[in-house]
Amino acid sequence: MIQIQQASKTYDRGRSFAVQGVDLEVGAGELLVLLGDSGCGKTTLLKMINRLVEPSRGRILVEDRDVSRVNPVALRRGIGYVFQGVGLFPHMTVAENVAVVPRLLNWEPAACRDRVDELLHLTGLSPRTHRDRKPDELSGGQRQRVGLARALAARPRIMLMDEPFGALDPITRDGLQREFKRLQQTLNLTVVMVTHDMTEALLLADRIAVMKQGVLMGTGTPRQILRNPSHPYIAALMETPRRQADQVESMLRSGGEGQ
Amino acid sequence: MTESALADQLRLLPDYLGHHLTLTLVALSSGIAVCLPLAILVTRVKSLQWPVLTVASVAQTIPGLALLALMVPLLGRIGFLPAFIALLLYSMLPILRNTVTGILGVAPDILEAAEGLGMTSRQRLFRVELPLAAPVIIAGIRTATVWVVGSATLSTPVGATSLGNYIFSGLQTQNSTAVLVGCGAAAVLAIVLDQLIRLGELAVAGRSRTKGWLAGAGLLVILFSTLILQIPTAKGSAAVVVGAKPFTEQYVLAEAISQRLTQAGLRVENRSSMGSMILFDALTAGHVDCYVDYSGTIWANVMKRKDLPPRADLLEQMKAWLQREHQVRVLGTLGFENNYGLAVPRRKAEALKLASIRDLTGHAPQMTIGADFEFFVRPEWAALREAYRLDFRERRTFDPSLMYAAAREGVVDVISAYTTDGRIIEYDLSVLADPLQALPPYDAVLVLSPAAARRAELVRALEVFDGIIDDGTMRAANKRVDVDGESPAQSARFLLKAVGLSSPPDATEGADS
Repeated sequence: MIQIQQASKTYDRGRSFAVQGVDLEVGAGELLVLLGDSGCGKTTLLKMINRLVEPSRGRILVEDRDVSRVNPVALRRGIGYVFQGVGLFPHMTVAENVAVVPRLLNWEPAACRDRVDELLHLTGLSPRTHRDRKPDELSGGQRQRVGLARALAARPRIMLMDEPFGALDPITRDGLQREFKRLQQTLNLTVVMVTHDMTEALLLADRIAVMKQGVLMGTGTPRQILRNPSHPYIAALMETPRRQADQVESMLRSGGEGQ
Repeated sequence: MTESALADQLRLLPDYLGHHLTLTLVALSSGIAVCLPLAILVTRVKSLQWPVLTVASVAQTIPGLALLALMVPLLGRIGFLPAFIALLLYSMLPILRNTVTGILGVAPDILEAAEGLGMTSRQRLFRVELPLAAPVIIAGIRTATVWVVGSATLSTPVGATSLGNYIFSGLQTQNSTAVLVGCGAAAVLAIVLDQLIRLGELAVAGRSRTKGWLAGAGLLVILFSTLILQIPTAKGSAAVVVGAKPFTEQYVLAEAISQRLTQAGLRVENRSSMGSMILFDALTAGHVDCYVDYSGTIWANVMKRKDLPPRADLLEQMKAWLQREHQVRVLGTLGFENNYGLAVPRRKAEALKLASIRDLTGHAPQMTIGADFEFFVRPEWAALREAYRLDFRERRTFDPSLMYAAAREGVVDVISAYTTDGRIIEYDLSVLADPLQALPPYDAVLVLSPAAARRAELVRALEVFDGIIDDGTMRAANKRVDVDGESPAQSARFLLKAVGLSSPPDATEGADS
């Protein structure tokens, strides 16, 4: 579905690289998580897929077409995007935000309206109470849901997500993550998601790609990454969730003995 | 302030307000039409930002009156065009700066979202940037509106009728009713326009139909009334344009001329409170048809002559020169002289034994001299200083209407008085003799533009003025305005009657003043 071939990005004519020589494939219906510290180049790599960032070298194929040959506006309208910090338009209502891309694609007004209600249902919002609200009248979790609905509006087969659950409290985040995973499987979406949250990556991903200083350190399923890390950096990175899980588990066990 | 004085002023309101509205609305809408695209361009091409905003800022720092006056020589015209261009420049800074600030203030993550969702840069502008910047842009437009309505009152001296006609002529003739009506009308107009724009903004932001209709209806009423008010001046093209400089005698004479022309069945437009040189240039260019000037003024300021032939020679040479160089016709001398003269309070003159300017030479270093805006830069002043070796301690410039009171109250010791001014007697001032004849004679002359000189009916209506007004009559007419509080129109009727000419019935008097 998405093929990244030797993609590099430099902002200073090759003295340093934000992304360097990355090869990566994402299969249809796969949820790939790009994992790494802030500044590791994962967001830059994500933005190359819909040409928000143009690669300095290498090429990217989406559905077997070289994106550099595709009109960027048409490309972006065909790919869902959930932005870091959501980026809802503050002057538009929830319904108008969700209908942005269908309107850009000149859908009939009636079709737009139906699609908005359908998506609000799908993302767990009530069309009647939320449709006409402005973003600043929503909670963080509700805004995130609208952002998701907006990305899904024109029925894209590919979704790019930049820290989509970043600014939420743990309980809201957990709920949304699970709902999204279910949605992704139902709609058979191909997803590339950027995060620095190891636990989120392990719980959501079909496959994880770890990046460090612009370089791809390795890829694998969550199980592979956790059990047989291909690189010491990945092993070190997994140390935190592993230790946390052990602690929680031992607490559960000792609590059980106490009863 | 009596009721009839107010009614007198209000009769002029439709004409002044109509011109003021036209000027304001045209300047503002052009300002918006120019500035919005320019501001958008500036946000796209960052290197333009500094030069464009700097030029707009510089235009803003020029005082309004100076900017308007500058437009006259730059465009070579008086009237609507220079006023319009100056006001357009004046409206630019707030609209430009607020639009640029508003667009650049849109959060980067919102812009990225717009781009990432597949908006073209045009769609991003119209669907995201402009709607989000709208409150700031509209605030800029509202600022510009208030500024332009206020500054438009300054377009009177460049020959564009506005509510400023009330203010300028009211200040000169010490008619506080006129000044108050002018200021009040401008303030009300500014508030109404500002609130209409605000209402329109609220209607759009709150998606309120009612407010939208209200704002739309208000705007329509204003546009419609502007058209209605403009209709009387829009018909025909042969109106006679009568000019006047900014002091009482000129207003009275312009009124008298207008009344005679009206009676002869001609349509008259007035351009009052214009500077000397602006008025002369406007006459030669044909933008003004006639006005009263003074021989000495033309001799020294236009012809740049330094010699002083006898009074009659000077007149003859001036007539010939005006005809030859500018095809300007001197229809005749009115009969009186309005000389520049140095005046001091009589008590001071007696105490210091001052009879002529020569007696002033020794006292000058301890004295302050007051004069009108023009005097100290006119060649007559240089000639006077040189001839009598005058070296005053301090010079102060005044509005002509305030100069006499300044002398009476001792704010200044000497003033450059106009010898026909009624306040010389009223305030007990004495005019010092000029034994060296440093100052030229200032015979009042009626001058016609080349086009006006060819209009027989106009010449016929005005040639009756030749030699009929003596110094005393003119002084009495001036005093009626400056001291007794009559309007220039009333005083003009007195003047015409005093010299045996008839004036039109009261209803039409001053319709255009």
